[in-house]
Amino acid sequence: MIEVKDLCKRYEGRTVLDGISAAFGPGEVVALVGPSGGGKSTLLRCLNGLEPFDGGTVRVGDDVLEPGDTRAQGERLWRIRRRVGFVFQQWHLFAHRTALGNVTEAPIHVKGLRREDAIEQGRALLAKVGLSHREAAYPSELSGGEQQRVAIARALAMEPEVLLLDEPTSALDPERVGELVDLLARLRGDGLTLVTVTHEMRFARELASRMLVLHGGRIIEEGPPSRVLASPQHARTRAFLGLDRVAGLPPLGS
Amino acid sequence: MSEPDTSMRELPSRARRPAFLPTCGVALLALTLLSCAAKEAPGLERVRREGVLRWGADAQGGEPYAMEDPDVPGRMRGFEVELAEALARELGVRAQFVQNDWSSLIPSLERGSFDVALNGIEITPARAGRVLFTRPYFVFNLRLLARKDDASVTQLESLKGRRVGTLANSQAWELLLRTGAQAVPYEGVEEPYIDLEQGRVEGVLMDDLIAQRYGQPRPGLRVVGDFGEGYYAIAVRPGEDDLRAALDEALVRIARSGELRAIFRRWGIDSAAQQRMVDWTDAQTREVLSDTSTAHLGWGQLVLFLQASLVTLLVSVGAMALAIPLGVGLALVRLYGPAWAGRLATTYVELFRGTPVLLQLYVLYYGLAGVLRLDALSAAVLGLGLNYAAYEAEVYRAGVLAVPRGQLEAALSLGMPMRLALRRVIMPQAFRVALPGVTNDFIALLKDSSLVSVISVVELTKRMTITAVDVRSWLLPGALCALLYLAMSYPLSRLARRLEARLERG
Repeated sequence: MIEVKDLCKRYEGRTVLDGISAAFGPGEVVALVGPSGGGKSTLLRCLNGLEPFDGGTVRVGDDVLEPGDTRAQGERLWRIRRRVGFVFQQWHLFAHRTALGNVTEAPIHVKGLRREDAIEQGRALLAKVGLSHREAAYPSELSGGEQQRVAIARALAMEPEVLLLDEPTSALDPERVGELVDLLARLRGDGLTLVTVTHEMRFARELASRMLVLHGGRIIEEGPPSRVLASPQHARTRAFLGLDRVAGLPPLGS
Repeated sequence: MSEPDTSMRELPSRARRPAFLPTCGVALLALTLLSCAAKEAPGLERVRREGVLRWGADAQGGEPYAMEDPDVPGRMRGFEVELAEALARELGVRAQFVQNDWSSLIPSLERGSFDVALNGIEITPARAGRVLFTRPYFVFNLRLLARKDDASVTQLESLKGRRVGTLANSQAWELLLRTGAQAVPYEGVEEPYIDLEQGRVEGVLMDDLIAQRYGQPRPGLRVVGDFGEGYYAIAVRPGEDDLRAALDEALVRIARSGELRAIFRRWGIDSAAQQRMVDWTDAQTREVLSDTSTAHLGWGQLVLFLQASLVTLLVSVGAMALAIPLGVGLALVRLYGPAWAGRLATTYVELFRGTPVLLQLYVLYYGLAGVLRLDALSAAVLGLGLNYAAYEAEVYRAGVLAVPRGQLEAALSLGMPMRLALRRVIMPQAFRVALPGVTNDFIALLKDSSLVSVISVVELTKRMTITAVDVRSWLLPGALCALLYLAMSYPLSRLARRLEARLERG
């Protein structure tokens, strides 16, 4: 579905991504983990062209993103973005639109859906994320968890094949994480590819079918979460998971 | 006086009307104020004590009256400069020139900006009822010029209902209004002839001295004829009869000695007719000054004020309708455009914000007249619009910068092209931030629109000054003018506040 080849990115003389190659298949749920500055969020942002890169390619179906200014890649870039949804850490809901307005904006103006159809679809999506009763609320009137679910509905409204989530649990109350896991599990059931950056190992374990550990701009380890978390092969992974330093304590996030 | 019944009561509304009761009160108040000012010192005594005769004139009136010496900047020359110096010499004092807009020479004289007004001021019944006039020093004719290619203008009457340029509140102005022509007021003597050549007016009626120098040399123009005679005299503040008497005596001496006509000869304006100034008698002075009148603010004036408000509103709304899209464009180019376009937009903003809008209006209307033939109203809308676009650009740029960066990323991540993201997501939010600034600018523009009177558009403030000169009072016309501005700006700020409140929710 998405294929990344030799992805490289330097930023202010520092190598952020150092030759990353990976593929994310249909219905797969992949967790990107690793220490801060390891390149997880940058990789995620490269996957739908929010961040330009210096080498390698990102392929989504038949469309290929190339190094350099993403803006210059026009149509191809827009097609990729329509197929790859993004849920931001801070959600970035359109502040001047209601919950329903946020969800219908892109279908109407990007896809050219009729307004009534977009509204019908938008209401169905808000129902799916459990926010039917909040459709007329503005972002400033919604709680963090509600805003996140609107953001997910907004991304789903474009009927993407892949959904990228940047630290979806970081701004949530711990008791809300479970609801998010349930919601994402349902989406996985619909055949959507999910790629999520996270620090929450429990979240990764419950949701992901595969885990990629990034460090220094490289993938240093990958495998099913149960295996990576239980017996990490790489010393850096062990250090990151805190297994070496503070033996005896349960892993982070459990 | 060729038009002995030049009654200001008939002008400029051309309709009889009941005088407003308050006018009496205001006039009384004005008179009280004036008499207070006059009590300070009788004119002649003050002039002698200070050793200076301060005379008000407009250097923009140009040749041959009084103008800046092109060879010695700051020094004045002209036949009235020499006349003022001769008069001062006769009074045993020094002459000092005071610059003042021609159309407001009389009000400035009344408020005491100078001792006398001496600048081609014609004796009209309205002025004679308002200030003291000396005996005349020059006799002139009103001369009508038209375009050579326009054979339809054969006399004054052929201009009924058509646009004719002249100086506001002049004798020609009054004659035009009486004829039923649409009098277009100018501040300078060059501009009406430029506009006549450009076809923006269909005739120009001015004193022959002006027509000779500024109109007749233009190849496209022809003299239609002379219509009405008039006299220039020196205006003195009411109550300063002693100064007037002294000036009269001085004038007689200068005229009889031959000095007056010698001055005229030096400036090429002497003719046999001027001998009448030498032979002039006090009885003649009394006769030309016997016809006085005072206009009152009436319903006709009110209608003119309302019309002028409409012009103000039209110019402001038109200019803003131009400034907003242009400003948004400039702001977006500066923020998101290629570097060269951004620099161009920045230059535009600095250029239009950093130079006076008055200058821009002059350049647009007169300076570019050969290339860009705009009528006055279009030039006013365009000039103010281009100027305010620079301010709107900055207001919107601030608005866009206030929208969090994540909003743009969110829009892009949904597959929106840049333009769509700006239009649907960024600009609506930027507008919310910009709204108070835009409202502010619109109200400022409403008031700045008074500047377009320099390109002969009669808007509210110009109407007020014309009327104020007519009715000898600035208080009531001023209050009416202020009221009308408020009536336009206040609902606007209310509307903006309601809009802000509505946008606040999102």
